[in-house]
Amino acid sequence: MTEKLSVEALLEEARLNASIPPPAERLRLREAAKLSRAQVAETCDVGRSTVANWETGHSEPAPPARLPYLRLLKGLAEIYPPDPTPGPTADPAPHPVPAPASASVPAAFTGAPETLRGADGRAIEGDPGPCIRCGIETTYQSTDGRPLHSGAMCQPADPAAPQTTPPAPAAPAAAVPASVSPTPVPVPSRPERRARSAARAQADTTALIARAVQDEAERAGGDEDAALKALIKRAIPDVMHLFNETRATARYDYTAYPALPDVLKKPSKKDPDQIWEARPKFHHPGYSLKVPGDVKVTALDVNAAYLSALKCWLPIGKLEHSAGSDGIDPKRSGVHLITPGEWAHPHLPDPIGDRDEPGALWVTNATLRLLQRLSGPKYGLTDAPVIHESWTSGATENFLDALRKLLSAARDEAIENNDTLTLEYVKAMYSKFISTMGESIHNREMVRPDWMHIIHSQAYANLWGKAFKASTAGLDVVAMMGTDELHVTGDWRRVFPEGRGVAQMKVKHGEGKATGEYTVGTVGR
Amino acid sequence: MAGRWMDLGALNARGLPGADALGVAIERMVTGIASSVESERGLAARLNYLTKTDAGYEAMDRAGIHVSPRTLMAWLAEERIPNKANRSRLDAAYWDLRRRNVAADLKKRLNNHGRGTRVEINPVDQTRVEGRHQRDLSSRSLNVRGVWDRAVDAWMNDDYDELDAVWDDIIEDLGSEYDAYSNVSSVGWAA
Repeated sequence: MTEKLSVEALLEEARLNASIPPPAERLRLREAAKLSRAQVAETCDVGRSTVANWETGHSEPAPPARLPYLRLLKGLAEIYPPDPTPGPTADPAPHPVPAPASASVPAAFTGAPETLRGADGRAIEGDPGPCIRCGIETTYQSTDGRPLHSGAMCQPADPAAPQTTPPAPAAPAAAVPASVSPTPVPVPSRPERRARSAARAQADTTALIARAVQDEAERAGGDEDAALKALIKRAIPDVMHLFNETRATARYDYTAYPALPDVLKKPSKKDPDQIWEARPKFHHPGYSLKVPGDVKVTALDVNAAYLSALKCWLPIGKLEHSAGSDGIDPKRSGVHLITPGEWAHPHLPDPIGDRDEPGALWVTNATLRLLQRLSGPKYGLTDAPVIHESWTSGATENFLDALRKLLSAARDEAIENNDTLTLEYVKAMYSKFISTMGESIHNREMVRPDWMHIIHSQAYANLWGKAFKASTAGLDVVAMMGTDELHVTGDWRRVFPEGRGVAQMKVKHGEGKATGEYTVGTVGR
Repeated sequence: MAGRWMDLGALNARGLPGADALGVAIERMVTGIASSVESERGLAARLNYLTKTDAGYEAMDRAGIHVSPRTLMAWLAEERIPNKANRSRLDAAYWDLRRRNVAADLKKRLNNHGRGTRVEINPVDQTRVEGRHQRDLSSRSLNVRGVWDRAVDAWMNDDYDELDAVWDDIIEDLGSEYDAYSNVSSVGWAA
């Protein structure tokens, strides 16, 4: 190939390329000549799979292999011209005027291969594939082994194909140049060069939520309760799908089924493991509902507390053991056995939660981070916790962030549109995602009880932060309970924005005395 | 078991043979009566399950419960409570039968219409292994198909050798490093 190609050769190549047969025809010609792909590949000095790609249309022949291949095809086409015998349905002889059925079969396809038939005359079925004429899947085959509807009765997919052919006897002859099989719908020969942009990917994933709601609403036919029930039922598989979508371009793989340390193993189905999540149950000792008084208290509610808690440091891999404070690293997370410092602020909730007995306990990394922050120079509220041992792994704070943003955006939109169905669906998705990511028969996609504990305690830590903010602004924290409940005295609106957004607070209404706005009395001060 | 990792723990690596991990992971798929046999509810549910079919009586036979029909009727009617030994045998018989009954379902779920199941394989824990002996092993994930019928049968019959052979078949697909996954820390899948 060192000699320079002459002008003639180039012209020949261009001429041949202008009339290059479609991929299916290339395959037919080679098979008619009983040549193997390897033989063709060697002649053209390319790989065998390249030839296969040319014949399936995945790629087009390119120089320098193009010229020999085109010459080969031209020569083969002269030896094995396209089959001029018309297909059985297009036989014009008995019908001077074709019946409508046969008229709908364009003459351009009369040269299409015939159905593969066995000795008994019955069509033979094989592997299913898209019919070479109409593209619809079929198990019947043509004589050259490609999928084709039996008797070629199907309608061609290409609307541009000539639909009305005059029944002139010359028609088959005129059709000969075009008598090759229709080319399949062109598949892009290369994967898309550009990855989906982040915004586009997010829009696609958001559309999944809207589509699920729309589907179930349609299926329920206006019955909103039924639609909601169906949506909640599919919330777990759906949120796992969303999660996997957000992980599609992720940088590292997480471990979904790690070997668990004993502290994270549940002794039985009903008994909990040894992790203390620091769930708060705080009541200010200076106030009481039982004492008559006129201190105005407002019960506040954090919106979507668990959704916000998805932003937390999560261990990616399998947890590994370390003694002492060796496992403590800003870039690691897990569970830790600690002895917390003394908490000497009765007017503020204990960040370790409502705990009676003293001593060491297993806490999550979210709680430990809060305790370490509070023992630092900025707060100085308590002594640093003593860390005895840890089970940790390399961690990231952004692990579930894409999912959080996605669900949060869907939630905001639903609130704006007063769309209860989507709102409840989103709520079911994130809450069930968290509650079933440990050991659950409802979600077998991952077994990460450590993540579940960390997210729970992150929610409690976030709530503690809000209580502290209220306290520093001069409000008294009367109670702090559960995941999202904060009762404060005074004008809370100058501390927290009011609303339903994740960064806002709303007044909690419910059963019982201590809801909404109520009054308490002071005790012993 | 394949290869050179015959004495796990010689260099302080921690893990368990792949066959064990495979059995544990299959075991994790089995659900059944959650209440313990010591509770009235759990006992009644087990007796109920074991006396519904002939297979139940066979399971009780295998577990070594040889009592007169009268005694059995008294247990079922909750007039008498089985003694501690028989309670634990009843529990064993129940889980034995339950495993046999769910085996078909497990095979179906794992075979997934011939598509198989994606298995996550986590390597042995090397944190205590001296640096120069540590190997660079990552978590691997591969689609496993075609072996699940054998695996479930072996697990059901407690056939350790067969389970081991199945595990060797599975890890062969991991490529040149397959040997390092003869022992693992855990295995898991969603099926």
